Amino acid sequence: MNCHDLERIFIQGDLSVTSPLPPEADQHLMTCSRCRELVQALRMPGDEETRPSAALSQLAKDLASDLTPVRPLAPAGLYLLAFSGIFASIVAFGVYRGGTLALSAMSAVQSVSILCALAACGLLLAGSLVHQMVPGSRHRFRPVFLPAIVIVSLSLVVTVLFNFRHERHFWQSGLACLRMGLPLALLAFVPFWLVLRRGAILSPRATGAAAGLLAGLAGTSVLEIHCPNLSLSHILVWHVGVSVLGALGGLAAGAISETMVRQRDHRRVTP
Amino acid sequence: MASANYPQVETSLLEKVAPVRPPNDLDRCMERYQQADPEAPGTLIYALSPALLRFFRSQIASRQQADDLLQETWMRIHRVRHTYRPGEPVVPWVYAIARRVRIDGYRRTSRIVAHETAVEVLPEVAHREESRSSVPDFETLIAALPEAQREVITMLKVGGLSLEEVARATSSTVGAVKQKAHRAYEKLRTLLQARAEDASGGEQ
Repeated sequence: MNCHDLERIFIQGDLSVTSPLPPEADQHLMTCSRCRELVQALRMPGDEETRPSAALSQLAKDLASDLTPVRPLAPAGLYLLAFSGIFASIVAFGVYRGGTLALSAMSAVQSVSILCALAACGLLLAGSLVHQMVPGSRHRFRPVFLPAIVIVSLSLVVTVLFNFRHERHFWQSGLACLRMGLPLALLAFVPFWLVLRRGAILSPRATGAAAGLLAGLAGTSVLEIHCPNLSLSHILVWHVGVSVLGALGGLAAGAISETMVRQRDHRRVTP
Repeated sequence: MASANYPQVETSLLEKVAPVRPPNDLDRCMERYQQADPEAPGTLIYALSPALLRFFRSQIASRQQADDLLQETWMRIHRVRHTYRPGEPVVPWVYAIARRVRIDGYRRTSRIVAHETAVEVLPEVAHREESRSSVPDFETLIAALPEAQREVITMLKVGGLSLEEVARATSSTVGAVKQKAHRAYEKLRTLLQARAEDASGGEQ
């Protein structure tokens, strides 16, 4: 056994400060002073007193006296269904209002690919949001990085599927898409946030950004089905832009929520 | 016991670590908490508070602040106890909440002394009783690490969490946790070696 093997055991094995080491690790420690010193230091907790204080004992009594049964959160699948249902409803409403002109303009490959990409991104975000409602959940991707991963992936798909075309009225047509997509994103964000409030959101900014992006994707999906402008620059800037603006809006909403909770807690503590 | 091979290790210090109940007991205790069993909150508090207190102490200097954060953690746990899913491990759930309380507490209190930057040498420790061991204690050792690495090492070694549980508590992945732990151990080795070289140079 060498130093690297010992470190792997120490990291990957469930070794706390009181666990005995395996025999091969003991043998290595007899010959390697560097590892011996490190292991000794990490297995020597300080001599500080860590017994619960009197205040904590009192808190335990107070909590016990003011205890009511609570209903645990519904299964994760139900919340995933809720997010998916809200997403689908907003898209259906938008398509009903705006029509499906883009589906006629796109080829079958383009329409199936872009819609599948949007659905996959939506599912990924919805799944992450469900896990973000419960502290200590397992995450496939770190929530703080997920919005960026989704936006970059979607942009790559769009870049592969569509080509640059000359546009006469880039800004005019773009603003029209924003006027259609952003209200839908806002309409989706509100029920998303109401569902999320049932859980315990530990990082309002990250959760807000993810929820905002999911809401923005609903707006983007409607635009992809409705808007017959297949220019790559138009889609990247204005359609995907709705999602980006949704993420930024959600991030701002999360930051505001965090500030409000902090101020409320401060008022509760200070007389 | 492996510690018998190392005369410098003070087993009395090891004994001072509060025994933690098996995870399954704690999981069931949390379920009873949700069902309003009046003994459940106290059981959880006494079982997990020593490790949580050490977790806070490893990140901030003041015992008083650590006590305050611990209280706030249990109050927050009480408020969001409905979010614990029966059948899931409760320890990463508790640590995820504790970690958030620590971050909120740090942002709120500007006077909290935080070890924000890694240092190239072990910090000078205030005068302590002379110990039989020449190895710096745990808190001194990990104080030299960046915050994220210090958090991972404390959860692994003091909290007794597995890699998977640390990943859950930090909203991260097992791979990222392994990487942080590996970097932390490398840095600690380097620091201990530099300390040993300084000590031998001083003796000469």
